[in-house]
Amino acid sequence: MKPKMKIGARFRRVFAISFLSLVLHAPSFAQTLGVSVPAATHGWAGGLNFHAEKTKSRLESQYPELKIILATASNASEQANDLEDLLTIHQIDALVILPFESAALTGPVRNVKRSGVFVTVVDRGLTDPSIRDFYVAGNNNQMGRVSANYIKGRLDENGKIVILRGMPTVIDEQRFEGFMSVIADTGIEVLDSQYANWNRDDGFTVMQDFLSRFPKIDAVWAQDDDIAIGVIQAVRQARRQDELFVVGGGGMKDIIRRVKGGDKLTPVDVLYPPGMISTAMELTTIKLLADAPIEGEYILSSPLITEQNADDYYFPDSPF
Amino acid sequence: MTLGISVPAGLELIKAVQLHKSFGSISVLNGIDLTIKSGEVHAILGENGAGKSTLVKLLSGYENLSSGSISVQPLDSEDAGDLLKRFVWNQKTAEALNVILIHQEFNLIDELTVAENMFLGAERLRHFSVLGLRLLDRSGMDEIASKYLRILKSNIAPSDKVGSLSVAEKQLVEIAKALSKNPRVLILDEPTAVLTEQESRILFTRIKELRSDGVAVVFISHKLEEISALADCVTIIRDGNQVGCYKVSELSKDKMAKLMVGRELSKLFPSIPTPASKSDLAMSVSALEIEGNDSVSFELKKGEVLGFAGLVGSGRSALMEALVGLRRAKRKVVFIKGTKIFIKNLADARSNNITYLTKDRKGSGLFLEKTAAFNFSLFALKQFSHWFLDAKTELKAFLRALNLFDVRVKDLEAGVSRLSGGNQQKLLIAKMLETAPEIIIFDEPTRGIDIGTKGQIYRLLAELTQKGCAIIILSSDMNEIIGLSHRVAVMRGGQLAGILEGEDINNVEIMRYAAGLKKQHSKN
Amino acid sequence: MTLNKKSIGPFIALVLIFLLGVFVNEAFLSSGNLANILARSSFIGIVAIGATFVITAGGIDLSVGSMAAFISGCMIMLMNVLFQSINSIIIVICIAVLASITMGLLAGLINGLLTTKAKIEAFIVTLGTMGIYRSLVTFMADGGTLSLSFTINDVYSSVYYGDFLGIPYPVWVFLGLAVMAYILMNKTIFGRHLFAVGSSEKVSLYSAIDTEKIKILAFMIQGFCVSIATIIYVPRLGSASGQTGVLWELEAIAAVIIGGTALKGGYGRVWGTVAGALILTLIGNILNLTDMVSNYLNGAVQGLIIIAAVVIQQKNGEQVKS
Repeated sequence: MKPKMKIGARFRRVFAISFLSLVLHAPSFAQTLGVSVPAATHGWAGGLNFHAEKTKSRLESQYPELKIILATASNASEQANDLEDLLTIHQIDALVILPFESAALTGPVRNVKRSGVFVTVVDRGLTDPSIRDFYVAGNNNQMGRVSANYIKGRLDENGKIVILRGMPTVIDEQRFEGFMSVIADTGIEVLDSQYANWNRDDGFTVMQDFLSRFPKIDAVWAQDDDIAIGVIQAVRQARRQDELFVVGGGGMKDIIRRVKGGDKLTPVDVLYPPGMISTAMELTTIKLLADAPIEGEYILSSPLITEQNADDYYFPDSPF
Repeated sequence: MTLGISVPAGLELIKAVQLHKSFGSISVLNGIDLTIKSGEVHAILGENGAGKSTLVKLLSGYENLSSGSISVQPLDSEDAGDLLKRFVWNQKTAEALNVILIHQEFNLIDELTVAENMFLGAERLRHFSVLGLRLLDRSGMDEIASKYLRILKSNIAPSDKVGSLSVAEKQLVEIAKALSKNPRVLILDEPTAVLTEQESRILFTRIKELRSDGVAVVFISHKLEEISALADCVTIIRDGNQVGCYKVSELSKDKMAKLMVGRELSKLFPSIPTPASKSDLAMSVSALEIEGNDSVSFELKKGEVLGFAGLVGSGRSALMEALVGLRRAKRKVVFIKGTKIFIKNLADARSNNITYLTKDRKGSGLFLEKTAAFNFSLFALKQFSHWFLDAKTELKAFLRALNLFDVRVKDLEAGVSRLSGGNQQKLLIAKMLETAPEIIIFDEPTRGIDIGTKGQIYRLLAELTQKGCAIIILSSDMNEIIGLSHRVAVMRGGQLAGILEGEDINNVEIMRYAAGLKKQHSKN
Repeated sequence: MTLNKKSIGPFIALVLIFLLGVFVNEAFLSSGNLANILARSSFIGIVAIGATFVITAGGIDLSVGSMAAFISGCMIMLMNVLFQSINSIIIVICIAVLASITMGLLAGLINGLLTTKAKIEAFIVTLGTMGIYRSLVTFMADGGTLSLSFTINDVYSSVYYGDFLGIPYPVWVFLGLAVMAYILMNKTIFGRHLFAVGSSEKVSLYSAIDTEKIKILAFMIQGFCVSIATIIYVPRLGSASGQTGVLWELEAIAAVIIGGTALKGGYGRVWGTVAGALILTLIGNILNLTDMVSNYLNGAVQGLIIIAAVVIQQKNGEQVKS
């Protein structure tokens, strides 16, 4: 009995030593950046993932000491699980997160923050802004206003429009409010607005029904390029492309190509860049590796894309 | 061991007067008088549909009376003085007064254990609670359950899953469950319908023990032997009317049958001429082997009835199901008219003119929710289809079959679950015979069916043999086997113990083989 | 059998909702709107016809929406590739259509084999394949959208937008498929066996029915229907993405149940399903044609009308029974 026990004990010690040496061999100065984004469930998010992947490989080859863990989640609770894994398994030093929902993820992000992780929030703010160290976002309100200003100008402050909204979320509300604040005092009449769920098929159906219902429509604010694609098909089917124009949003390559080509139906697009994730990842990396003073907010503007400047926003190899 | 009930024998526990019951405009019972006494076994005899089940449902409070009265002896025996007092009669008061009914169809849940089933809805809880919840007292329940199972001399464990029990064991569980409610009156609705003769005998022993403990037992049956063997008195009802209440000792079986049917019974079993020894073979099974059993072989002549007897679990049904391709056979060598045939599934059997009528007509024979017409044509659909189904020929065949087999369907649009057992069985026969098979295997063709319909089915069998069909009949009703068969194959433990002919076909001889006391060595 | 009293329920509901549409907006009755409704309902309708078979056989198929997205994606990629080597657009489209049907049948076969031979619950099998197809299409599109080359779509789009006798092609396809499905389900041995298997597998076995074959065929019919729906869906927008066909499975099942088919199997009504699909499309259309209902409450109204439609359908069934 006795000798056996001894052998067992020796083995254990050998294991312990080899394990220890493994840990020691890892470069002590390595930094890990966790990136948590929604899965590519629609076009814009697809673009987001594309840019995140691209930035990850670029940064990792540029900085060998940097390790980036990219986690995609298809709902808020999955994202909360991802955060736990990033913290406990990957032991991240900084986090870049585009939260699925503001309220639901505020608590989980706060937990991450408490362990001393640098937190960069992208696009959707948390309910408690004090958690974040750094904020990168598009300007949804501005996006609505830019769209409204263009429509206002084209229609000479007078005309009938329809609006296809996204989904009932904060983003959609901000865009809608921005838009309405601009056209409030004009002669522009909003015939109706309906949700099209940031989806081509719904954009198509909702627009078909608007077209049956309203004999005269001067402009359509689709506020999202996926919706806009559906709208365009519906308008063409009804052969009413000469009567109206469509303003989408986001910067999808299909739409920008049309803008570039001088399509009368889609004369402009309003940028809401999925590439903002790259900005956030790059700046956070700099903070992590060089400890540069990065804090506060970084708001990307939503410029109007026209035939003239469309080339600057056209990425043919992006999925979005 | 006793139940700890001290009821003097002969005490009037229930007195029912002029019970009437009607469902809508249909009158089911017209004036039944009944007195149930302690320490007495009271049989209720009648044909299918006579109203027996309705009567016991009234007695146990499951149905409301349309008119009449039921009086029950109060529980407190010292109060015996003011005797039969009227109650608001329902299931709850019945149970409170220890009048317990065991339904014909078991109310057991296969996935639960014996003890869990026994205490279903009346679970015992522990005296302490966890987070405000009182926990189940499993060991307590197991203990009580095993006590009652011991009284019944059963070796079922309280922790056994009910699904793993045999039908007879399930029934014992039902009885144990009833005993746990301290019955003074125990009512059993056709307890032997699903049991073999041996199992029935064991049940009767238990019932007699209960009787000597002072329990009043009411049981429904249409089997005359059972009544003469067990009951003290018998109430006979016919078409909802009371024929009378008799002392069993004063009544011959013939008389009983006559009273029940209301007419002279012609001979129950028709005579079926024995096929000449040189008549053609219909089928020769030279090897049939299913996993775990020995190979079985037998021959079947045209016009012959070959009975398969044996105790439940002797493997008769499994063997036949393997023959027709419903079950895997390890080895199967079958010849028809000298040609070797291959039966992979039931469809192959059908194309070789072999058909098998399941004993489980509700579970495997008929779609209970579907109409009679749907059920009828399903097995023979090809006969009604040339590219598309021909609704006209289908309907014609259906109506012809209803007439031919005397299937009485009141509502052609309704599911066949509404049909009586006899009509369901006749419909199953119509379904399986529509393809005009030459070899027909009947598995328990008359289980749970009244004597009138039984006669019809026996006559049909005789007609089929005259047309040259060969018939195999599996039955646990010994009289049926003896009355119909030209030869009797007795199975025991999955093996063929022997094939009896002529004089040897009798109760005693068959039981010897079935019980393993005797065995033939030669094959066939 | 087509219109006996028992099966009239969903049609009563359909007429009531139709009248509601007339009442809500006069534009409802315009020929353009009616054509839109019919064409739109043809996707869900065709998928739901397939679902009628699966549900009647006692199964369920949750994978149809993802399957549609996956087949759409494959068709688009295939056409884009083929176009580089084959000049005739018509031939390219024909090959894609054949490929689509093959894939649909194959996908159905896989679901069927897994439920029968591997004996896994249909719910689990199709939940699994649902996830697989959905992520495959997302992967194929790199998370974005797969778009059909404009040159091909110019030709192919007439499959969706073209019409015959003023009725769009998708509607003809829908109608033709419904007629075929009705005959298959009610006038053939297969249909009868389908009812039997859904009603009780055990009794079916004892009635010499090859239950596994019937179930596999039901799933294959479902796959075929999905591929047909895909063939007319792709030319509508000329694109497919991870979002294509989301929730189609639930809409299809809803259409089947509204139509009076029993969810537990054993009884199917093809024309009821057609009515069910029309009802679902009508609800969406009517909500778009009115601003009486707050946008936020659209889902609630849809839910209410669906439940009401089923109540009407069942009440009607009961009256006849008693």
